[in-house]
Amino acid sequence: MQATQTQESFITDLLRKVFSAAGLTILLTLVIAGATVFIAGPFVLINAIVTGGMWALMAAGLSLVFGVMNIVNFAHGEFFMVGTLVAYFVFTPLSAHLKTNPSPLLSAVAPFLGILAAALVGALLGAVIEKTVFLQLRKRTKEQWIMNSFLLTVGLSVIIINGVQILWGTNFKGITRYWEIPPFDILGVTVSVDRAVVFFLAMATMLLFWYFLRNTGTGRAIRAVSQDETGARMVGIDMNRIQVLTMALSSALAALAGASLLFMFPSYPTVGLKPLYIAWYVVILVGMGNVAGALVGGFIVALLQTMTSYFIGPGWEDVIPTAFVMLILLVKPSGLFGSEVKGIHER
Amino acid sequence: MTQSTKTMPSESIPATLEVPPESRLQYINRMLGVSRLGLVLVILLAALPFIPPFNREDLLRWMIGATLIAAQAIAFDFTTGYINVVNFGFAAFLGVGAYTSALLAVELGVSPWIGIFAGVVPAAVLGFFTGVLTLRLRGIFAALMSWFVGLALLGIARNWVDLTRGPLGLSAPRFLETSSNRPYFYIIFAMMIVTYVVLRWITRSHIGLAFRALGQNIDAARASGINPTFYRVLNFTVQCAFAGWLGGFYAHYYGILTPQVMATSHTVEVLAIAYVGGRGSIWGGAFVAFPFIFFFEWLRSTLTDLPGLHLVLYGVLLILVMIFYPGGVAQLYELLKDLVSRFRPDPVSTTKVTK
Repeated sequence: MQATQTQESFITDLLRKVFSAAGLTILLTLVIAGATVFIAGPFVLINAIVTGGMWALMAAGLSLVFGVMNIVNFAHGEFFMVGTLVAYFVFTPLSAHLKTNPSPLLSAVAPFLGILAAALVGALLGAVIEKTVFLQLRKRTKEQWIMNSFLLTVGLSVIIINGVQILWGTNFKGITRYWEIPPFDILGVTVSVDRAVVFFLAMATMLLFWYFLRNTGTGRAIRAVSQDETGARMVGIDMNRIQVLTMALSSALAALAGASLLFMFPSYPTVGLKPLYIAWYVVILVGMGNVAGALVGGFIVALLQTMTSYFIGPGWEDVIPTAFVMLILLVKPSGLFGSEVKGIHER
Repeated sequence: MTQSTKTMPSESIPATLEVPPESRLQYINRMLGVSRLGLVLVILLAALPFIPPFNREDLLRWMIGATLIAAQAIAFDFTTGYINVVNFGFAAFLGVGAYTSALLAVELGVSPWIGIFAGVVPAAVLGFFTGVLTLRLRGIFAALMSWFVGLALLGIARNWVDLTRGPLGLSAPRFLETSSNRPYFYIIFAMMIVTYVVLRWITRSHIGLAFRALGQNIDAARASGINPTFYRVLNFTVQCAFAGWLGGFYAHYYGILTPQVMATSHTVEVLAIAYVGGRGSIWGGAFVAFPFIFFFEWLRSTLTDLPGLHLVLYGVLLILVMIFYPGGVAQLYELLKDLVSRFRPDPVSTTKVTK
């Protein structure tokens, strides 16, 4: 009796989950993905999977900053750009060095060095920006914080883009591949090593990030601040430390995404705009402050893009996802997985 | 009006409170808010193309650019400063007007003087729908929605190559046969004045009061009988109509249109000027545009080896204004005016109660 009851409630629970907006969207996405594979062949999915993981990283950082600091970060894509730039300037000399004196160990590690350096520089840049700009604004602005901080990030974005342009010019700085290893086959699809490694890197980073937010003291403090700032202050959480850490973490994630995708997105000053609005699509799609949801959203947006570009034509891959996200914003402004986040952004 | 609600002992009411009937001229002046200083500046601006350093063709081109930005900043502030929603897709509506006017001229041979007004229609219609789309959203989400609309329009302009010729650029006929820039300056100057007069008039009327109320507290405004749907959609429609109109000038002055005109960076430029000028003032952005555009253009033409330096300064300025003086130049002006009137007591200051 007892067993059937729990089983029943489990089934109804499952059904409810499946028929919620989130469940339906995931189901629909899976069906569409399946149909795409059936019609076009599985190779279409590879790019979606590789970029989707990185969009998830971007979106996670974006929604973290929004949740903790209430900043709508328009300069998030610029950290992506800085990431591509740092990775390029670390990796290119290393690979040139490897050409003259080969070493199998270094050639395997060199890309990781580039990506790591990018993440570190990103974190540093984020921390510096928090200390020099956001902290100053926070001291002075009481009302209209969201709008003022948003315009501040618009200014930051303009400065970073044009500063990079002045210092390093507008030419494309790209690489063809990170690892000089021939591609391998999965299920009849040729996958380059770069793509596979980048996918696993995204998954590992996401997992680490999720674990950090859930199970460490600092991560809990960050989540506490994003849920209730006053309460967090009351229990003695050091706000300045959390804010610097959040900004650094978010920028590091964006820079890591940029560095990892260097072989697909060669570095130039305005490369960050597209990742920025894709990250916004993901955040709007799944709702603010949802790390696990960002992963799903990243894949949905990436899939939509690759499908649009395959079926309708390259160039249109931004228009269709935009329309889709506008629809979501219209019918479910809190996002597919969104709970009612605190109301400050409504002001 | 405010005086009548106060309970005052009847013997203490000064005789000046008996308000003389407002003359037509006074009414117009109150609605347009033209101060003596403002009038002098406008006349100076109108005379500037004949004053020596500014009658050079390159400086005239800068002036046209500055006036165009000034007019856009006025239209931008109409939404940002009043209903408190940033239309982040502003440049896209400008582009819609520009493309409509240019395509009418290229495909159907419509005169640019008619096309420029025809361009208003699609921009206003799209503005209407954007207003409807952003209705349920507040603050930053409305800004994001309008940004997405702008991105979608940009994407369409880029990819509908059959119609817009995409990044190759669409060449549009110019207004006049002349190679001189001076007539163009007077066209855009007149357009800026019209934009100012119409938008200022709206914001000073009861409609503007409703806009302000919605911008400050939407629930309180609704509770006091203001229909948010009507006023927000109206605001978006009017703003986008003006954006489309100014876009028509853009198309027929520069003579070449690429989808880049709809890019976010263009919106950012207008936004920076409007905010430095001061939100909710209508004139602030227009005032700031001239010295700024001149300074930036001068910087760009002297430091040719450092392209983009003027944009870095744009960013720095926007940040500094946001941190230290979010009210912008308009607020600074009010502050200075207060200081001046404190040192020079105005004998007719009691006429303030007529408001």
